[in-house]
Amino acid sequence: MSNMEQLELPYQVKLQVFEGPLDLLLQLIKKNKVDIYDIPISKITEQYLEYLDVIKKCNLEVVGDYLALAAQLSLIKSRMLLPQIPTEEESEDPRAELVQLLLEYERYKNAAEELESRDILGKEVFIRGLSYFDEFGEAAQETEIVKTDLWSLVDAFKEVCNRKQFELAEDIVFTVESFSIEEKTTELIEFFKTNDKYNFRNIFNKMVTKAEIVITFLTILELVKNNIIGIKHENPEDEVELFYIGDENFE
Amino acid sequence: MKKLIEAIIFTSNKPVTIKELKYYFKDFETKELRSVLKELINDWENVEHGFNLVEVSNGYQLRTKSEYSDEIINFNKEIKKFRISKASLEVLAITAYKQPLTRLEIEQIRGVDCSGVINQLLDKRLLEIRGRKEVPGKPFLYGTTDDFLETFNLKSIKDLPTLQEIEDMEPELKLDF
Repeated sequence: MSNMEQLELPYQVKLQVFEGPLDLLLQLIKKNKVDIYDIPISKITEQYLEYLDVIKKCNLEVVGDYLALAAQLSLIKSRMLLPQIPTEEESEDPRAELVQLLLEYERYKNAAEELESRDILGKEVFIRGLSYFDEFGEAAQETEIVKTDLWSLVDAFKEVCNRKQFELAEDIVFTVESFSIEEKTTELIEFFKTNDKYNFRNIFNKMVTKAEIVITFLTILELVKNNIIGIKHENPEDEVELFYIGDENFE
Repeated sequence: MKKLIEAIIFTSNKPVTIKELKYYFKDFETKELRSVLKELINDWENVEHGFNLVEVSNGYQLRTKSEYSDEIINFNKEIKKFRISKASLEVLAITAYKQPLTRLEIEQIRGVDCSGVINQLLDKRLLEIRGRKEVPGKPFLYGTTDDFLETFNLKSIKDLPTLQEIEDMEPELKLDF
């Protein structure tokens, strides 16, 4: 397990503090105790960009969302610097549109907090029997064996493939690859008989070649199809687990 | 009949609706059923018990009192505490008030990509697809489910406080950063 966590670490850096660019901006406004209708754009933009630097260092994936707002802030800042040309119409504050966005977001942020403060089922209040959301619980296991769809298994398989470092030169060994589904089946059945529950990823830990991984994956699909092993995947965040059911029906 | 209704609610793992009761107790008016249920709610409230009869998700359900949540979780190791992220809560809040709406409309309010969060909420059956919007690309329209009402202890979607009410009643939330 520790081995696996290490591998996942670089992808797990997540800024929990902000839910997005609007959230960051809103919090900067609160922190500076300024009026949302009269945002000191120059000061706030500067602080926003400082945070953006931190975000850039931590998490590349979300940075795009933040960049768009940074551009918008800079645009507003430059518009504010331009002298206002008196026109017949009341010239609009360049910040107006942004303020509307912020207020709208804030309303739903508060509504979300209101939701969170309610007596949530499975957290504050409970109903009879097992937890409401534990539909993959032990009791259900007897009747329903596959509690996941094929895609979560394929996703997990994709991760295994990505995890393996095939490109290292010393890993490439020229051998005759002689893995067959039949051999793997016997091997895996023996394996699952002695382990009542096993993490899907860890099965592939000691395998080096792509052929072996693919054959193993096909074997698992075959075993699941024949009700010899079951798949368990409780939450989208959780690991896919495999467990032994029985091989009486297997020829 | 009152005791029978109580027994029916006791055995059900989903909130029992007036409609379901009406279907069985054909001779009774909806009004009568409602008053019986009201009596039951009062009965449970007036005696010292660990649970209440609660009106939730257009039905009636027996639920434990919130003050015992920690002990219940400690006692029954099989209970997995319900967890939800801030992002999910925001998406649910937006959907609850503006449904049905598209992913893009949710993202415009939050300012971030929400596809992952929406998929998780669909998996948890807190959101559902309501159809497609008649605009180019025909994107899916999302709405909240009965499970959402059950989870957040709401009688119906109308039971949600209005956004104006939230703004008025909880000024401390806004200062709490």
